[in-house]
Amino acid sequence: MSEVILKTENLSRTYTMGKRSIPALADLNLQVQKGEFVAIMGPSGSGKTTLLNVLGCLDKPTKGKLILDGVDVAKLPESKLYKIRRNKIGFIFQTFNLLPYLNARENVELPMEGTIKSGSERKQKALKLLELVGLSGRGEHRPQRLSAGEQQRVAVARALANDPAIILADEPTGNLDTENKYEIVRLLANLNIDRGTTVVMVTHDSQVASHTERMLLLKDGRITKEKQGLHFAKKKRMCPYCGSKIQPHDEKCPSCKKRL
Amino acid sequence: MVIALGFSLAIMISLPAGILANQQSTQTLTTGYNNAVSQMEQELTLITVTNSSSSTSPSLGSGYGGYGGYRVFGGFGGEGNYMNESVVDAINSIQGVVAVVPTLEVGEGITPETFTGYGGNTFTFNVSSYTIEGVPLNSALIAGNYVPLPTNITDGRDLQTGDSGVVVLSLNNTGYFDVTIGGEVNINGTNFQVVGVHGESGSSTFALGEAADVRTLYMNLTDAQAVSGLTGEVSTISVYADNSSDVSNVAQQISGLFPEFSVTTEESELQTIENTYNSTLAADQSAISSTQTVAFEEIAVAVVATSLIVLFVMLYTVRERTKEIGTLKALGFSNWNVMSQFMLEGILLSLVAGIVGIAIGSVGAPILSGLLLPHISNPFGSLGGRSGGGGFFVARSGGTPGAGVATAVSAAAPSPQLMLIAIGAAVVLGALGSLYPAWRASRTRPAEAMRYE
Repeated sequence: MSEVILKTENLSRTYTMGKRSIPALADLNLQVQKGEFVAIMGPSGSGKTTLLNVLGCLDKPTKGKLILDGVDVAKLPESKLYKIRRNKIGFIFQTFNLLPYLNARENVELPMEGTIKSGSERKQKALKLLELVGLSGRGEHRPQRLSAGEQQRVAVARALANDPAIILADEPTGNLDTENKYEIVRLLANLNIDRGTTVVMVTHDSQVASHTERMLLLKDGRITKEKQGLHFAKKKRMCPYCGSKIQPHDEKCPSCKKRL
Repeated sequence: MVIALGFSLAIMISLPAGILANQQSTQTLTTGYNNAVSQMEQELTLITVTNSSSSTSPSLGSGYGGYGGYRVFGGFGGEGNYMNESVVDAINSIQGVVAVVPTLEVGEGITPETFTGYGGNTFTFNVSSYTIEGVPLNSALIAGNYVPLPTNITDGRDLQTGDSGVVVLSLNNTGYFDVTIGGEVNINGTNFQVVGVHGESGSSTFALGEAADVRTLYMNLTDAQAVSGLTGEVSTISVYADNSSDVSNVAQQISGLFPEFSVTTEESELQTIENTYNSTLAADQSAISSTQTVAFEEIAVAVVATSLIVLFVMLYTVRERTKEIGTLKALGFSNWNVMSQFMLEGILLSLVAGIVGIAIGSVGAPILSGLLLPHISNPFGSLGGRSGGGGFFVARSGGTPGAGVATAVSAAAPSPQLMLIAIGAAVVLGALGSLYPAWRASRTRPAEAMRYE
C-alpha cells in the first residue's frame, strides 16, 4: 500500500484579465504516490505550468484542496508557505535558474541556508549531492563554465538539497540537446529508482515523457488522459520493447539494443 | 552607477569641508582683527595737547615757512607755542589718565638761508640745522612704553632713566657735529656726550640737499629746557587714557581745564577702524552664512540625489533579477530573507560608493567646493590687502589677517570625522534608498517572477 504524497481535490486556478476570467485549472483531481515518476503533458496553454506552480506553492489555487505530504497547503499564508517550499519541494526549472555569481556547490547550498546551520555540513552535503548527479570535482565551477547539461545537473542536486518529499520539474529538458535531454531524464529516473524520490515533471516532449512511469495529459485545465510510460516497465527490470531482462541503469536494452 | 553614487557622496563630503575651511579662515581673520585692535589700544588712547593760541609769536623756526613749498621742518614749529610744565600735574590728576608725557621740541643751530624762487625773487628764512627732542626720562613712563624714544638705535645705546648730559644723535647729526660714540657735541655752549646713534631718517617732503634731512637729538627733557632757555616749558603733552572709551571724556576735561590748548585725539581714527572692522566682519559673517545656506541646500540636494540614485539602481537591480528572486523564493527563501538580502546589497553598494566618494572628495574637495560654493575669498582677499597695506592697521599687525586668506583656499581637505560621517551617511542613505526596492523584491510573487525572462 503506497502512500499518497500529493493529492488535489477540485483544484482550480482562474486568472482574471480585466473583466474576463480565464480558467487555467478547472476542478483538477490528481494523486501522486510516494516514489512515483509522473509526467504531465499537454499543448501550450493547457495549464501545465500553472499546475506545477500551484503544486509547488508558488501560486495559490482559487479553489479546491492541495494536500502535500498530509497537509492542506491551499490556504496557508506566505509566512508558512516558504517553509513548505523549502522543506517539502525541490524545484527544477527549464532555464536551470542557477545564480551566476555563485559556484555549483554554493548554488546547491542555497536551499540549505535556512535548514542547516553549520556551513561545513552544508558544504559536505552539497558535495555529496554533486557527486550523486555526476559532478564530483566541479563544485567550485561557476555556472557559465558548465555545459547546459551540467548546469541542469547542478539544479537537480540543488532540488535534492533539503531531501524534499517531491521534486517538481518544469520542462527540465526544454533547453537541452538530445544527448543531454536523455541524460537528465535518466538521472531523474535513477534518482527515482535508487532513492525513491517522487518526481512530477511537466514536459511537452512526448519522448521525454515516455521515459516516466505514468503520463498525464492535460487539456483545458483538466487531466484528460493517462497512460503508462517506459519507466514503469523499467522498474520491473523488463525491456518494454522485447520483454527481455534488463538492469535498472542500463541505457540500452542488452538484447534489442533499443534506447531505454 | 557606483561612480554616480560616488560623485554625489563626494559632493556631500566636499561641501562641509568647504564650509569648515571658510569658517576656520573667518576665525583666523577675527583673531587677527582682535589682536590688531588690542595692540593698537595704547595708540588709540593717545590725546595730544598742544598750545594753539597765537598770543605768543613763534620764536624759533617757522612752520609756516613750509607752506612756501621749500622746506618742511621735522614736525616742530607748526604750533610754535609752549606750555608750562605745571599743566602736567593738573592733567595727571584727571580721572582715567594713565600717563602724561611732556616733550619739548626745539630747533637749534639757526642760520638764515636765502633762496631764489620763481621769477628771480629771493626769500630769506631762518633755518634750524637740527632739532632737539627733550623727552622725560622717568622710569615709570619708559617702562610703560609711553616715552617717544628713538626706536632704531644703530650704534651705542638708547636713552635711559636718569640720563643727563647725554644725547642720542641721528646718523646725519654725527656728520654735522663730526662726532662718534663717546664724543661730545656743543649745544648753545653746553657739552653733551654722545651715547647712541639712531637711524631715523628725515621725512622732508621737499629734499634740498643734505640739509633737508631731519637731524634729531634726543636728550633729557630738563637738559633740553636748560639748553634752549625754555625752563619749565614743553611743546607737546601726550596724554594716555586708560582705555579707548575714556578718551573723549579725558579730552573734554583737558579742554575744560585749558581752553587755550588744542586737544586732539585718535578718536576719529578709532571710529574709522571700528567701522571698517564691524562692516567687514558683518560682510564676512553674511558671506559665511550665505555660503552655509547654499552648502546646506546643496547637501540636501546631494542627500536626495544619493537616495534617489540608490533607489533607482536598486529598483533596476530588483527588476533585472526578478527571475533570481523568483528562484530564491521557490527554493524556500522567506520574504524577510529576500528583503534583507537586497537591503544588504543596497547598503554594500552605497558603502563602496561612499569610499569612492571619500577618495574623490579628498582629492577634489577644494575644487568642488570652489565650484559649488559662492566665492567667499573676495571679502577675505580685500581685507587682507587693506590690513596688510597698513592703511588702517599699524604695521606690526598687518601680517596676521592676511594669513587667513591663504587658509581659506587651501584647508578644504576633509577631516577624519567628516569621512566617518560620510560613511555613516552612505550606509543610512543606502538603507533608505534600498528599502522600497527590497520590499518590492520581497513581495515579488514567485509564479509571476518565473515567467519573467
